[in-house]
Amino acid sequence: MKDDKISRRDFVKGASVFTASSITPNVFCAAQQPQKNSRELVPKRALGKTGAQVSAIGIGGYHLGSTRDQAEANELVSRAMDAGINFFDNAWDYHDGMSEERMGIALKGKRDHAFIMTKVCTHGRGKDVALRMLEESLRRLQTDHLDLWQIHEVIYYNEPDLYFSAGGAIEALEAAKQQGKVRFVGFTGHKDPAIHLRMLSHGFPFDTVQMPLNCFDSTFRSFETQVLPEAIRQGVAPLGMKSLGGGGEFVKHGAITAQEGLRYAMSLPVATTISGMDSLEVLEQNLGVARGFQPMSKEEMASLRERVRSVASDGRYELFKTSKHYDGDYGREQHGFPKSDELPA
Amino acid sequence: MATTPPNTQSNSGPSMPYRKFGKHDEKISALGFGGHHLGDADDEKSAVELVQQAVDGGITFFDNCWEYRRGQTELWMGKGLKGRRDKVFLMTKVCTHGRDASLAMKMLDESLRRLQTDHLDLWQIHGVTFDNDPELFIRTGGAAEALRKAKEQGKVRYVGFTGHKDPAIHVKMLKTGFPFDAVQMPLNAFDGNFRSFEKEVLPEVNRLGMAALGMKPFSGHGEPIMKGLITADESLRYAMSLPVTTTITGMEKAYVLQQNLAIASNFKPMSAEEMQAVRDKVKQVSADGRYELYKVSLKFDNPEARIAHDFILDDQSAEVKDMMAEQKNTGHPFREKEKQ
Repeated sequence: MKDDKISRRDFVKGASVFTASSITPNVFCAAQQPQKNSRELVPKRALGKTGAQVSAIGIGGYHLGSTRDQAEANELVSRAMDAGINFFDNAWDYHDGMSEERMGIALKGKRDHAFIMTKVCTHGRGKDVALRMLEESLRRLQTDHLDLWQIHEVIYYNEPDLYFSAGGAIEALEAAKQQGKVRFVGFTGHKDPAIHLRMLSHGFPFDTVQMPLNCFDSTFRSFETQVLPEAIRQGVAPLGMKSLGGGGEFVKHGAITAQEGLRYAMSLPVATTISGMDSLEVLEQNLGVARGFQPMSKEEMASLRERVRSVASDGRYELFKTSKHYDGDYGREQHGFPKSDELPA
Repeated sequence: MATTPPNTQSNSGPSMPYRKFGKHDEKISALGFGGHHLGDADDEKSAVELVQQAVDGGITFFDNCWEYRRGQTELWMGKGLKGRRDKVFLMTKVCTHGRDASLAMKMLDESLRRLQTDHLDLWQIHGVTFDNDPELFIRTGGAAEALRKAKEQGKVRYVGFTGHKDPAIHVKMLKTGFPFDAVQMPLNAFDGNFRSFEKEVLPEVNRLGMAALGMKPFSGHGEPIMKGLITADESLRYAMSLPVTTTITGMEKAYVLQQNLAIASNFKPMSAEEMQAVRDKVKQVSADGRYELYKVSLKFDNPEARIAHDFILDDQSAEVKDMMAEQKNTGHPFREKEKQ
């Protein structure tokens, strides 16, 4: 990953990024990985009970909007699809719509081979707002339907109640499915397993649920131990994200290598692991792990968890759980929180 | 050494209520003087006067902390309490945030020097914020050992801990089994509805016979009052009506002190129904934590805590600004203010 592009919501103006120390020298180095046969493909996995097959790694939409230009985005998407990747993530609010537009252009002529997901950002507002956002997403993505439509960033403690109230966004998910505008529905969030569990407690037939899954999460307010088993029990397809901390934090601080982080996440029982790739270098690095993917053994996973436990257990590198950093402005606005330039974290 | 409350013997007219400090017999004022806001006084002279006026107004409980304004608030409070030390119950906090007992003892000696006293009435672990802080506190060599030692040495009479983040972390601290005398926590009507210390911690602290100390009756900086969601009177009365020994609040201006003294001196506890009505009034805006940023953001997490845990610092915080100012080459010796 390029250091200058590493942060998802680049540490917002006015915020200090200086920390007391980094723990060990940066050991990130793609060259350490065994060379994979470049004809091997990224394996596909079943998306829960839906019957759809998705690639074990997915292209994160936010970072696609951080590529240099449209040409690089096109090349990235094209190479990814050649390697067997079909899962494309996005959200209505990424780069204020630019991520969706860029993806729409890059997928021109390839739509039928892609599994497109985007997310809706009502943050508690109801069905009508959601359906308006859906039309905008479809237009920007240049398609008449989504494969998957998810409620974005369920991170406020009262949001599950708001979504499930009469006229709430859950009704939009149902309506969009009935109208054939979306095939499957789900939700995402990065804050607290308790909020995810509350969303799952309604018995609503979500097809997917997206969550942060990585070797740090497993010992700190853990989605892996609290939400993943429940999703599997309900037959809801789990989608992993933030395999390296969301902005490469785990690697930047030298705690793990990018390969270790990605392998750990992909070794969990998930349908796909969504990874931000803002350059061809990052794509190639990920393909080095994902082509002909071989999961870690249980012992390898346990030993990686143990290795990072001491720096995982206060959440210092999972600021999306412990602070307002990573919480988008559209949600803050709906909930009366200061914007990210006033309250970066 | 126990402090004697002024005007406990009846004189006519309103007066400050005094309450029993946990299972101990001595009493402290139901309104506590918050140390952090003292750093926002106009200057040293105003700060000294504020402290003196607070003592004269019947406040005996004084709060402070080793790291507030890089030591400035302890220095100012020490000056304000000169000649009045015996009338007050003085608390300050130690900022190890998981680090060793030896560091805690160094901080204690600094606090005593700045506060111009040979002992504290209460010494508390500051800002228990991170999920692993309780383990780090109780480990061999951890700050728990400093609390014991300081008590043995007679440098502190009582010990406790504070924090504003998550009731679960307070519960973990209580489960260490350490014999705390006091526990401090945010208590206000918003808290009553959201990740609630009132519901999850306060009953347990009282059951254990520890003194419950409330803070943030105005949600930190009074945002909901400025927005007209609740009045200052309702906020403070709500907090003081809970089963706490004292309610600590910042008073950086004379008019704020007078306003709080008036509310406290005329204090009549709210009925259970009144309290429910206040909680209900703010229920909708409580449910996502927007007026309790100390629970859902890093905003109120002090730099010492962040440094100890390798978290990002906030360059808008007063302490970080002071830290950065100290790095500037002014031509003066380092930390000249301490030598005053």
